[in-house]
Amino acid sequence: MSLPKRIIKETERLMAEPVPGISAVPHDDNLRYFNVTIDGPSQSPYEGGTFKLELFLPEDYPMTPPKVRFLTKIYHPNIDRLGRICLDVLKANWSPALQIRTILLSIQALLGAPNPDDPLANDVAQRWKEDQNAAIDTAKEWTAKYATA
Amino acid sequence: MSAKIPRNFRLLEELEKGEKGLGAEACSYGLEDGEDLLMTNWNGTILGPPHSVHENRIYSLKIHCGGQYPDVPPEVTFVSKINLPCVGPTGKVDPSKLPCLVQWRREFTMETILIELRRYMALPAHKKLPQPAEGSNY
Repeated sequence: MSLPKRIIKETERLMAEPVPGISAVPHDDNLRYFNVTIDGPSQSPYEGGTFKLELFLPEDYPMTPPKVRFLTKIYHPNIDRLGRICLDVLKANWSPALQIRTILLSIQALLGAPNPDDPLANDVAQRWKEDQNAAIDTAKEWTAKYATA
Repeated sequence: MSAKIPRNFRLLEELEKGEKGLGAEACSYGLEDGEDLLMTNWNGTILGPPHSVHENRIYSLKIHCGGQYPDVPPEVTFVSKINLPCVGPTGKVDPSKLPCLVQWRREFTMETILIELRRYMALPAHKKLPQPAEGSNY
């Protein structure tokens, strides 16, 4: 099974010049499938947490975006109960000029700037709008409960 | 060789297809627990095939997708009682008796199994087998 050069290059660079607070390591038996961790951004309810994700590069990557999902439970209006992420660059705004690195940075930024007006988890988004402080408290509780080793 | 889609992303695809009702009309399936990040346990239903003793009956099943799915097939168990040669005394589908489980391939899905079970129910040798009372469970 030959891996496209583009994927090899991206992987090499992720290893050689990792992004602060983000790691992405391919599985030995499937080099299109990555174990990812993202540290919660400082000044966010996710600060202090390390979140596990999984990322898969489909057959036609980079013509189609990577598939990414949280494996750690997280209370966030744009992430649903199964860890699926609502993020424009993973869908309609994907461009082959983007990379694994830029996608993971966008997800990290999403943790720092939840967007309850474009929700995936409707109950969370509603609470975020009605009582932001309470929602942030829950997000902090979940971070402490599920995202710290 | 093409990209090998990992278990979890395969199950997410199946979930979306099931949720949107894009699959065959006579079968449906969904996650048992919508918060189970591992997506292990699923519920399935089969609408009994027409022109058989199963016509108009709705059969419930449980499907267990282990860590090796889809490299190995899931375990399938009827919740609704049924009299079929491939179903054991506790409702478990015998993987050595249903062709798609015997010759399992990675591209097969939960829907593949449900559709094949429905076809199996409608086979000339099976379609007139006496059945337990409708609505009884294992």
